[in-house]
Amino acid sequence: MAFNSMGFLLFTVLAVVGYYLIPGRFQWMWLLVFSYLYYASHGAGLLGYLLFSTVTTYVAGRCLERIKEKKYQKAIVIITLILNFGMLGILKYLNFIILNVNRILRGHLSYLELVLPIGISFYTFQSMGYLLDVYWKKTKAEKNLFRFALFLSFFPQILQGPIGRHSRLACQLYERRRWEWKRAEEGVQRILWGFFKKLVLADTAAPFVDALFDQYQTYSGLAVFAVLAYSIQLYGDFSGGMDIVIGVGKLFGVTLDENFQRPYFARSITDFWHRWHITLGTWMKDYVFYPVSLSRWMNRFGKWSKKIFGRSTGRTLPICLANLIVFLVVGVWHGAAWKYIIYGMYNGFIIAFSGLMAPNYRKWKKICHIQEKSAGWQVFQILRTFLLVNISWFFDRADTVSQAFSMMKNSVTQWSPGKIQEIPIGQGGTTDYTIYALAILALGVMVLFIFSFFEEKGINLFSRLMKAPVLLRGAVYLGILLCLPIFSQYPALTGGFIYAQF
Amino acid sequence: MEKLLEILEDIQPDADYETCTTLIDDGILDSFAILSIVAELEDTFGVQVTPAEIIPENFNSAQALWNMVQKLQAEK
Repeated sequence: MAFNSMGFLLFTVLAVVGYYLIPGRFQWMWLLVFSYLYYASHGAGLLGYLLFSTVTTYVAGRCLERIKEKKYQKAIVIITLILNFGMLGILKYLNFIILNVNRILRGHLSYLELVLPIGISFYTFQSMGYLLDVYWKKTKAEKNLFRFALFLSFFPQILQGPIGRHSRLACQLYERRRWEWKRAEEGVQRILWGFFKKLVLADTAAPFVDALFDQYQTYSGLAVFAVLAYSIQLYGDFSGGMDIVIGVGKLFGVTLDENFQRPYFARSITDFWHRWHITLGTWMKDYVFYPVSLSRWMNRFGKWSKKIFGRSTGRTLPICLANLIVFLVVGVWHGAAWKYIIYGMYNGFIIAFSGLMAPNYRKWKKICHIQEKSAGWQVFQILRTFLLVNISWFFDRADTVSQAFSMMKNSVTQWSPGKIQEIPIGQGGTTDYTIYALAILALGVMVLFIFSFFEEKGINLFSRLMKAPVLLRGAVYLGILLCLPIFSQYPALTGGFIYAQF
Repeated sequence: MEKLLEILEDIQPDADYETCTTLIDDGILDSFAILSIVAELEDTFGVQVTPAEIIPENFNSAQALWNMVQKLQAEK
């Protein structure tokens, strides 16, 4: 039941209506039942993995509060981490390991038929974040198993996040609430905006991306367009999905963490990761980056590097190394393939290099009289970052590393934009709709740019709309509802969400 | 406190550490700067900062940082 299906819409309406009709003390139980029903709709067998993560983390949290001795607490945390990440690792990476072992040792180990439970990365990260927060006393352990089960399974977010924090999310889920028109309207606005991004942008770009990447040798002169279309598809797909998730959350009065903040306006790769998949970035920062950087062996490395490279570089080197480890994990998180590892390390190296060079950059900017706040410098930074991000998208979308390099080479050596009209994206593989789809994509990008530009300037057009008369607002929403199916009918392919497979 | 202000000025010069109370909230200190500060605090004041201490409340102002250092020194 994907978010863009009629089934999900009906399911959400039923869940919302019932939520506000039943007595307040039962509301969180209602949410729990619907969350488990939703997850079970993807396969009842998958519930076992979710229950395993829920029960082991709940028991560990309770034990951490009762047992006071540090060494036992540490043992509980390590065992629970191994159990949960072990399960995720086996399901997601075992066949990748077997493949590489076979290649290196010329062995014939057979692959295992493993089904990756939908959303497992997201709820595993959320549960392990909770565990570490309890260990570090940043949150209190949940006493009620069923309430904790709701924290891990809240149905709008279980498939593709945002990865929630117990201290901010849990209390909202258990609160008693009454229907509020304003809150519901804000939720509907976000859902409509999400559908626009998914149906008009992502699903219109998808057939172009599929054709250009799958037949990259045929369309070698369109490599630039391929990666630009993918940047639109990926952003529309993931952030559109997040808008729907956050909008549905608002219908229940729950404010979920934001996962995107206009990432293509980022002025550096570091800034990009502060704006793209924010909850994964902050998770990595709090639970991998800081613990690794502050570990004893990193401390020893820091002391050694200070002796060798001097104070400033010496103290930055361990941070750079921890950053590379984080981005290795980010790459591996994206999938079991070398291209994802390169994708992660590419980002890691750029950020580490920038960190190392930061004092020099400050000096050079002073020498060159560069004003940080000048429009020209900011536009240059945004374009430079967009270029660097698009290079990383080649690794993310291409099937293999060699394909990614080949397409990168094509993007600077070959250029035949006219061929774009020959891409068959209509029903039955025709080119009847190609021009229409391109026009809609261009129009959609313009709308997205205008909204994002104003938001970047601190002006939220949706909030402005909330102040308009009811009739006008109603007409706008109705207009969007009618336009969405018209503008999203051209591509032959519309599908599920990319990040739901993680 | 003077030593702490010197450390902050050295790592991230473009901020008014005497008055600013939103160093994290306003993104003045990023994660690289935070860890550089921690490394210097550990060397200069002989304290051990753990991941549990890395919360915005401890890094939002020079005063908050100083309070954290004093607390960690008292716990030694």
